[in-house]
Amino acid sequence: MNLRRFSLIAVPYFWLLGLFLIPFLIVFKISLSDIALSIPPYTPTLELSEGWAGFRDFLSQLDFENFEFLATDDLYWKSYLSSVQIAFISTFICLLIGFPIAYGMANAPKEWQPTLMLLVILPFWTSFLIRVYSLIGILSQEGMLNQFLMWLGLIGEPLTILNTNVAVYIGIVYTYCPFMILPIYATLIKLDGSLLEAAEDLGCSRTEAFWRITVPLSKAGIIAGCFLVFIPALGEFVIPSLLGGSDTLMIGKTLFEEFYNNRDWPVASAVAVILLLILIIPIVLYQRNEQKMMEAET
Amino acid sequence: MPETVFEPWNDPAANPLIQFRNVTKRFGDFTAVDNLSIDIFEKEFFALLGPSGCGKTTMMRMLAGFETPTSGTIMLDGQDISPIPPNKRSVNMMFQSYALFPHLTVYDNIAFGLKRDKLPPDQIDARVKEMLRLVQIEKFGQRKPEQISGGQRQRVALARALAKAPKLLLLDEPLSALDKKLRQDTQFELMDIQEKTGTTFVVVTHDQEEAMTVASRVAVMDHGKLKQVDTPDRIYEAPNSTYVADFIGDVNIIEGHGKAQGDTMAISWAEGQPPIIGTPSKPMDDGNVSFAIRPEKVAISAERPADRNNVVQGKVLDIAYLGNLSTYHVQLPSGIVIKAQTANSRRRASRPFTWEDEVWLSWTDTAGIVLER
Amino acid sequence: MRRLTWFNATSLTLGFAFLYIPMIVVIIYSFNESRLVTVWGGFSTKWYGELLQNEAFLDAAWVTFKVGFFSSIIATILGTMGAYVLVRGGRFYGRTLFSGMIYAPLVMPEVITGLSLLLLFISIGLDRGLFTIILAHATFSMCYVSVVVSSRLVSFDRSVEEAALDLGCTPFEAFRLVTLPIIAPAVISGWLLALTLSLDDLVIASFVAGPSATTLPIKVFSSIRLGVSPEINALSTILIGLVTIGTIMASLSTKRAVMRRERAERMAEQAG
Repeated sequence: MNLRRFSLIAVPYFWLLGLFLIPFLIVFKISLSDIALSIPPYTPTLELSEGWAGFRDFLSQLDFENFEFLATDDLYWKSYLSSVQIAFISTFICLLIGFPIAYGMANAPKEWQPTLMLLVILPFWTSFLIRVYSLIGILSQEGMLNQFLMWLGLIGEPLTILNTNVAVYIGIVYTYCPFMILPIYATLIKLDGSLLEAAEDLGCSRTEAFWRITVPLSKAGIIAGCFLVFIPALGEFVIPSLLGGSDTLMIGKTLFEEFYNNRDWPVASAVAVILLLILIIPIVLYQRNEQKMMEAET
Repeated sequence: MPETVFEPWNDPAANPLIQFRNVTKRFGDFTAVDNLSIDIFEKEFFALLGPSGCGKTTMMRMLAGFETPTSGTIMLDGQDISPIPPNKRSVNMMFQSYALFPHLTVYDNIAFGLKRDKLPPDQIDARVKEMLRLVQIEKFGQRKPEQISGGQRQRVALARALAKAPKLLLLDEPLSALDKKLRQDTQFELMDIQEKTGTTFVVVTHDQEEAMTVASRVAVMDHGKLKQVDTPDRIYEAPNSTYVADFIGDVNIIEGHGKAQGDTMAISWAEGQPPIIGTPSKPMDDGNVSFAIRPEKVAISAERPADRNNVVQGKVLDIAYLGNLSTYHVQLPSGIVIKAQTANSRRRASRPFTWEDEVWLSWTDTAGIVLER
Repeated sequence: MRRLTWFNATSLTLGFAFLYIPMIVVIIYSFNESRLVTVWGGFSTKWYGELLQNEAFLDAAWVTFKVGFFSSIIATILGTMGAYVLVRGGRFYGRTLFSGMIYAPLVMPEVITGLSLLLLFISIGLDRGLFTIILAHATFSMCYVSVVVSSRLVSFDRSVEEAALDLGCTPFEAFRLVTLPIIAPAVISGWLLALTLSLDDLVIASFVAGPSATTLPIKVFSSIRLGVSPEINALSTILIGLVTIGTIMASLSTKRAVMRRERAERMAEQAG
């Protein structure tokens, strides 16, 4: 191996090792440590100066106490469960809203499509924080949504939406919708129109052809979209802390508070480790789906 | 002749299965099909032939129900079909891209239409197996479309379209995706299957050879109009226009002034040359005409043949050796190039003529056809 | 393919209304004279003036700009290298781990990335500030750049590179003279993505920033927690405007490039 090739591989490789993998191993290690009133606020710390004995000593002090604590304190259980629930339901709502938009885009006249695409991508490039912020005004007591509903006569009194879980749902659906629309649109636009004609020719009504042909053939895009919403929504921090209420439990928020308010680094690390374990399943499924899509294309 | 020939188009009592009556289809400013009338009979293997954009695909899509005529009516079995949606028509189509459903197995693709008819499962199964046998792909029932070859896909598409036993089967460029050798074999199989099932086939193609091979009748189309509807041999031997003569096969066209001489016509085509004698395609008045003759009907010889009226002399300009045939391009003194074709019936025969040879070309009075210009 | 037209039209209208009304409301209220965010008090641009005099915001914006500038450049270089290694690197020890490390940060929750980097910086005794934010942003952005660039690398015909080698280029020259110009659009969009991610990031920056360096999102977040304010509306409008102009210009320039190519092809055909 020549030097040039080696350095080409080594630079990004060691960068990622040092700034992605090792930090994560540190999180894992701290999750096995105990909280302490020191700097850094956990124990044990590895004393390399003490050599091999120091290392053994260090290892022997690691334990699963933090994980046991997580299992017994129902704050964490509830956070995980409610994160999964919120992420799951918002993903489903995203699909219900995103699919018709993607479908409408794919079936719109050709000359419109670049513009429609631009309209979906624009929010994607716009600051996430600002898009969450824009909902605060809309969802507040005197906000547009309440005024609109009252004008319609659907409600007499303004509803409390902001600082509830409903606002969190709306926030996730609103901010992550483009992630659902884009992959579905990408599969729908590739759908060969003659397949639908063939289905009709063989006796399907248009609705039937939609369910039997369009939906199964856009499955890969639907799955990709769902994971692209579900995975980040699960660890979401900004939306629950800005739109949710004090009773909104989401694991990203819990972790952040554990870290900054309680300064309990070992527990925060344990929370992160569990969150990652939960995420591994959808991540692996997502990767497999991506691979299948790639293979289908070649 | 005791055997009855299949020629319902010559039988005034026969009822056509399909009738196009003054059908016009416009897309915006573009007229795809222009006031076209045609009858297609039961059990026919009918070919719509023409270059791309001639309106043949539009005709077929109107039959399938994917387009509705701008004006005029299309009758199937004496019934106006324009209000019937595609999924309710007893017409099935084999798509050019085959349009096989990629998420379903070969078996389920073929069963797809039968399931829509809510047939009992055992009947569906029996029918699918019958179809798999018919197109000889029994072994591949459980595969997905991407796991079989192009030729097999073509068979699945055919089986799927035939499974519902439609009154009419439409085939959109059915063989265009296959390579040449496979295409030729499949042409004969297609004819076999058509005969076995007794289904009326309408095939759309731009490949004249394919149309001539498979079809009982060929309709040559251009710019949304029918140029000629006839049996393959009539289309070839008796084209009614230079367009048809030129579109089908190879042809020499000589322009000149025609003068009737009984059943034949004498065409003066060049200064100082005796007129060419040809047979008019239909009774026509004296005037400017085109004389069309196929290269294989032009004889080439070193000596002037004594027994023929139509003899011209020229110089060999080019020789195309095609294996079974050789085509000589012979330039006449007037500058016109005439192609003459000879069969290479003997192996290793030394080529009788070579470049720059002075040769004589000749043909009989009935070999060429006189067309209006 | 143009079916269910009324249905499509309705879903598109409602869908885009949902996506855009909140942002449009923010833009409208940024021109509101009144400090009350729900009452229209007449047109005014005074909040823009106040925003431009707010030192805290301006400082944060400057920090954000510096972070974005440096981290996106590092991320683009590392990410392009990473993509090249992924697609053209051939076999080497730990290749699977490498591609895992490229893809994992894309799906890693920001809280975990932030927490782990913070713990790293603390354990190696690195002072938190501008430098640590740049390191953190460069790391996760480089993975996005890698993905964008590698999808372009996969799709381009390798024989072009081989032709360059055949004509006497060294591998590095082949990369510089042939590969890089071909993948340049992907590198540029990767860089834009890295820049946007860096400018937008709140969570990771909150972990690794420390008291000495506050980025704009951190500043905005802490003031949003106190509620809606007209200055934030004005700031949002400026940012939305910048993104809109940038996106439209980018799409126009690709469209122009496509049209130019099509015209050139047509002319070439006519000439031939």
